Amino acid sequence: MVVAEHAQGLLAPVTWELLACAGQVASDLDLEIAAVVLGQDAQPLAQEIARCSGVKTWAVEVEGLAHFHGEAQRLALAELLPRLEAQVVLGAHSTSGLDWAPALAVDLEAAYIPGVESVSLEAAGPTFWRSAHFGKVREKLSPVAWPLVLTVQPGAFEAAPPAEASQGEVEVVHLSAPPCRTKVLEVVEGAGTDAGLGRAQVVVAAGRGVGQVENLELLRRLAGLFSSAALAGSRPVCDLGWLGYSQQVGLTGATVTPRLYLACGISGARQHTVGMQGSGFIVAVNSDPQAAIFNLADVCVVEDLTVFLPALLEMAGG
Amino acid sequence: MRVLVCLKQVWEPESLFDLQGAELRPRPPLRRKISSYDELALEEALRLKDRLPEARVTALSVGPATVVDALRRALGMGADQVVHILAPEQPPPRPSTLAAWIAAWAREQGFDLILAGVMSEDTMQGAVGPMLAAKLGMPAVTSVVRLEAGSGSLEVEREMEGGRRQRLAVQLPALVTIQSGPNQPRYPTLSNLLRAKKTTPFTLEATGLAAPIEREKVLAMAPPEKLRTGLVLEGDTAQKAERLLAILRERALL
Ligand SMILES: Cc1cc2nc3c(=O)[nH]c(=O)nc-3n(C[C@H](O)[C@H](O)[C@H](O)COP(=O)(O)OP(=O)(O)OC[C@H]3O[C@@H](n4cnc5c(N)ncnc54)[C@H](O)[C@@H]3O)c2cc1C
Ligand SMILES: Nc1ncnc2c1ncn2[C@@H]1O[C@H](COP(=O)(O)O)[C@@H](O)[C@H]1O
Repeated sequence: MVVAEHAQGLLAPVTWELLACAGQVASDLDLEIAAVVLGQDAQPLAQEIARCSGVKTWAVEVEGLAHFHGEAQRLALAELLPRLEAQVVLGAHSTSGLDWAPALAVDLEAAYIPGVESVSLEAAGPTFWRSAHFGKVREKLSPVAWPLVLTVQPGAFEAAPPAEASQGEVEVVHLSAPPCRTKVLEVVEGAGTDAGLGRAQVVVAAGRGVGQVENLELLRRLAGLFSSAALAGSRPVCDLGWLGYSQQVGLTGATVTPRLYLACGISGARQHTVGMQGSGFIVAVNSDPQAAIFNLADVCVVEDLTVFLPALLEMAGG
Repeated sequence: MRVLVCLKQVWEPESLFDLQGAELRPRPPLRRKISSYDELALEEALRLKDRLPEARVTALSVGPATVVDALRRALGMGADQVVHILAPEQPPPRPSTLAAWIAAWAREQGFDLILAGVMSEDTMQGAVGPMLAAKLGMPAVTSVVRLEAGSGSLEVEREMEGGRRQRLAVQLPALVTIQSGPNQPRYPTLSNLLRAKKTTPFTLEATGLAAPIEREKVLAMAPPEKLRTGLVLEGDTAQKAERLLAILRERALL
């Protein structure tokens, strides 16, 4: 059972990735795939999923659920899923999924595997890979009890292609407002993305490894070597106020796909790489030879950036 | 107001690791620290205490004897009391087990607010906090970047994808997980550290606490997947710089 993710009346792209992951698991376990959309006005989104994926979709109209509300979603799912006899529940490993999935696993007395990046089909059933220890290793897990709640890492699965098969059935369920002890007061829009960042052919990105705000100057000069370049940062750099939040790349920031992405002092946490993994060519500079960023770089420079960048700039005449 | 903060001790992120079968071994120098989101959670608790002087902050950590260092640092930063649930480091307990152990102790303590990190910095599961709340029958709000306490209630701002934020009112008791924001954790003070040195944390054995059987099993560990070829530049700094410039020019990127 795929729990669709949506905001402001639109399905989040990760929903299609969840369906792709569900496809692998379901074929192995001989289960049927279904999806569920929760919201005050869930039907149009349920129609879209059923039309594009061909799977049966439940439009669960929860009274008062105008915006995402983790507690309401958890309580509604805890009531609904046992009735639908869901064996495997998939949510996104996102700020939304993480707000309801772990508690739901407790409610359902389910196994819980967070941040799934790939599935291996084995004789004994499906096993799930996730990153651990700062992305320096992967671990393989299997459930030893059912049901199973999974959260799926955004960007890890290729979105399922539109189904050629016939349109899936949509079934509407109405639920009254669950008894919540938290209440959504307001939703505030974010800083948005810096317009220059979206357009730039080259993105020079600063991570915590920049060390001191003064060292950002090295990255500015590096960006100056290119005709269309923008400066971006990982979250800690934006938290420190060295760059604005509109320059943050990643899960809670911007997604960029420049021709060249130069990651300087960035460890390569999934929440960052999901925002830049589609870049044309990736160069990473990091002093830690095991840094996770090197696993998706085209060129790996194991160096202290405060030594390497000045040498590079001097040689380039920048 | 009684506040509990859950702290996980992790290896320094820059540590080098060797994979030995299904176990990951860090290479010396062996350095550990408090997971950064947990340090931010402790900072939030201490900020509450700065505003509400009657608030009492307890820090708790589950793990081997080494977590006492994390707890001493928490005392150094200003926690009032520390609790150690002693558990073996290997195999790492599953989140549901950790949550069950913490819940077994915390249930009788009457905490008004429990704070955890949004995720542990090393394994990024984001599970222990909300699972603990569920076991204690408390609501949980995750990914909180701003927190304001009133009497019997809380107002929080949680972050969502794309930098959008959601403001919520929360009835206490509740659990909140802290996401990074502009606040930086404070440094321990010398006087607190001296006091901490003499403190022996209140210690419980995990074996004496109830936990359900683990419902998932770690079968194996493997090196990370290479998603791209990853040409590693060789030579000294100047040679690497030269090579990089050549590659960028070859590809007409420069
Ligand atoms: C729900 C959620 C959402 C998130 N959203 C985002 C997001 O949108 N964007 C984002 O970026 N993060 C996000 N994060 C945070 C993310 O998980 C990582 O913590 C963050 O990306 C780490 O940033 P970093 O790589 O700059 O810092 P670190 O992980 O601290 O890495 C610093 C790196 O610099 C290297 N280094 C140190 N000194 C030097 C030197 N002198 N020279 C060269 N290298 C050096 C180190 O080896 C290390 O690899 C999110 C986290 C959560 C939980
Ligand atoms: N061993 C531990 N001891 C105390 N708290 C923990 C422990 N492991 C995890 N936590 C708490 O749970 C949060 C989420 O951890 P995780 O589910 O591993 O991502 C951490 O940020 C801590 O606040």
